[in-house]
Amino acid sequence: MEPIEIGILVSCGLLVMVVLGMRVAFAAGLAGLIGLIWIFWSKKGYDPSAFIWALTVATKTAGQVPHSKITTNALSLIPTFILIGYLAYHAGLTKALFEAAKRWVGWLPGGLAVSTVFATAGFAAVSGASVATSAVFARIAIPEMLKVGYDKRFAAGVVAAGGTLASLIPPSAILVIYAIIVEQDVGRLLLAGFLPGAFSAVIYGGLIVVMALVIRNFGPPVGGYSWKDRLVSLPPTFPIVFVVLIIISFIYNPFGGDSWGTPTEGGALGAFVVFCIAMIKGMKWGQLKEALIESAKLSVMIFTIIWGVLIYVRFLGFADLPNAFADWITSLTFSPLVILICILLAYAILGMFMDAIGMLLLTLPVVYPAVMALNGGESVSAADSAFGLSGAECAIWFGILVVKMAELCLITPPIGLNCFVVAGVREDISVQDVFRGASPFFVADALTIAGLVAFPGIVLFLPRLLLG
Amino acid sequence: MAGSSSVLEDDSSYSSVDRTLEKLEKFMCLLSGFAIFSLMILAVVSVGGRNTIDQPLPGYVDFIEQVLPIIAFLGISYTQREGGHIRMDILVGRLKGRMLWLAEFITVFFMLVLMVLLVWGSFEHFLRAFNWDAPLWSNDSSVDLNIPLWPAKLLVPVSFSVICIRLVWQLIGYARAFKSGELNPVGLPLPKSAAEQAAEEAQSVSGAEVDKEIN
Repeated sequence: MEPIEIGILVSCGLLVMVVLGMRVAFAAGLAGLIGLIWIFWSKKGYDPSAFIWALTVATKTAGQVPHSKITTNALSLIPTFILIGYLAYHAGLTKALFEAAKRWVGWLPGGLAVSTVFATAGFAAVSGASVATSAVFARIAIPEMLKVGYDKRFAAGVVAAGGTLASLIPPSAILVIYAIIVEQDVGRLLLAGFLPGAFSAVIYGGLIVVMALVIRNFGPPVGGYSWKDRLVSLPPTFPIVFVVLIIISFIYNPFGGDSWGTPTEGGALGAFVVFCIAMIKGMKWGQLKEALIESAKLSVMIFTIIWGVLIYVRFLGFADLPNAFADWITSLTFSPLVILICILLAYAILGMFMDAIGMLLLTLPVVYPAVMALNGGESVSAADSAFGLSGAECAIWFGILVVKMAELCLITPPIGLNCFVVAGVREDISVQDVFRGASPFFVADALTIAGLVAFPGIVLFLPRLLLG
Repeated sequence: MAGSSSVLEDDSSYSSVDRTLEKLEKFMCLLSGFAIFSLMILAVVSVGGRNTIDQPLPGYVDFIEQVLPIIAFLGISYTQREGGHIRMDILVGRLKGRMLWLAEFITVFFMLVLMVLLVWGSFEHFLRAFNWDAPLWSNDSSVDLNIPLWPAKLLVPVSFSVICIRLVWQLIGYARAFKSGELNPVGLPLPKSAAEQAAEEAQSVSGAEVDKEIN
């Protein structure tokens, strides 16, 4: 049997294991290991006496992946970003943000809902986790919106959708994972997420204003704040601005010259700032211990998937499957743009059933090389490429697109987790209601993605401007 | 797809072994949490030193290389005990009783096969860095500070061995549950519906601090 056939069979086996409910990390690792054994054994013509040899070589090959792949410096960003998120709750930044947003944009039609969107976007800056963002704001923002007469379904939908902004606005753990899997510069990707994240927030805000103007009894603006009220609401939100500025200045130095350090240092320093604020706000030892254990659990979960998938990737290399898939994709007679849109749609469907990190890690090893080939290869120049982007830029652009796609799935049935979380916090609102309330934002997200596909400049503006 | 779940406890011997093992696992997980904390402190010292006294922390990158395996591996078994490794539960979420325990038994068995082989493979990887006769027993050390790499590499088979014990115990548990057909066996992570899981998630992140802010 040809290696490529082994590759396809083992990949199908992996799919079956994942659907049967095997933990994704281990399913990927096992598929990789079995695949390696199979390929090595096939090279010896399936000689029974060579099986032990194949098993030994494959196990040794797989056995070095966990340690050697995990000690990549950039990976230390993941635990620090996760820690920032857990400490942010104890630093009490959420209410401050909502209050500031309310005073600044509450006068708009649908003002409270718009404030919620901007406050979630701001909180996203310190929390990489969409689900957590929704959970927190369900408790802060929904009661205020209901008080002034918003439809409860819509109020819940705004919070569920606002939470999805977390994955693009730095610090974003999922963008770090993408960068590592596709071997691109982490700093560039983090910078690239900033504008699309802000762009999404503006689209959400615009949509709410239009709905408020068109629909009667939608929800009144909240006004009556003086400029003084507005200004005093700002200082409590400074820690968040500070964290973002630190992380960005460790990627790009605003004062010229070299950046202040590496993104890894920036992430760790950001965590330290949030930690200090949490201590000032009276975080107890027990809460810190809890935050550390939870961060460790989440980190080990992510690291396990990373090395599990990388064992599978090692096998894919032997089987030459990514190249074969890329050849097939480029041989199609459709235009590259149509193929890209089909790939994104496939992610939308997959994302309805799988969690974002698992989905991206399992598919990217095969899909990413295909997309790069579609554009003309890793080292293609912008002029010769299919999408008008150089290889490195296409990698960044595609990363932002798939992450946005994965986020979109957090508010779509049947398992859009953000909606479940909001319904879990608010017992008076059913999951169906939240899904219904969030549906306008689904349309907004589809528009955003269309915008990002049509104008890659939105994604690439900041990395190009700051890093050249 | 879901991660977390809940584990029931009682005074049976099965549960007591589970809890003893949990103590070890939780301790390892806490060490991993402290390692994350140390990443934060190391960065502050490194950046602070570089910008104030023009003296960066020597071997900062070496330290990260040593600390990352602690974060990446030590908690693996505790996370498995708590059902924290993600999976797609659209199918198993619909199963109940014996069918569910059978499905769990099969997938955990495959996990055990993988982990036993990886204990072997990662131990071989450690052996290549380790040498009884070399200074500090080290064949292989970090670039700047010459810290031996074998302790970090040894962490991998050690952590993997602990999760193997956990998996064996879970296999026994699933076999018992399959035999008795009970619905809520002790010592095993019980799958939760998306709604239960979400409620818990919301509870864990919006603790007293947020309540205080709201009121």
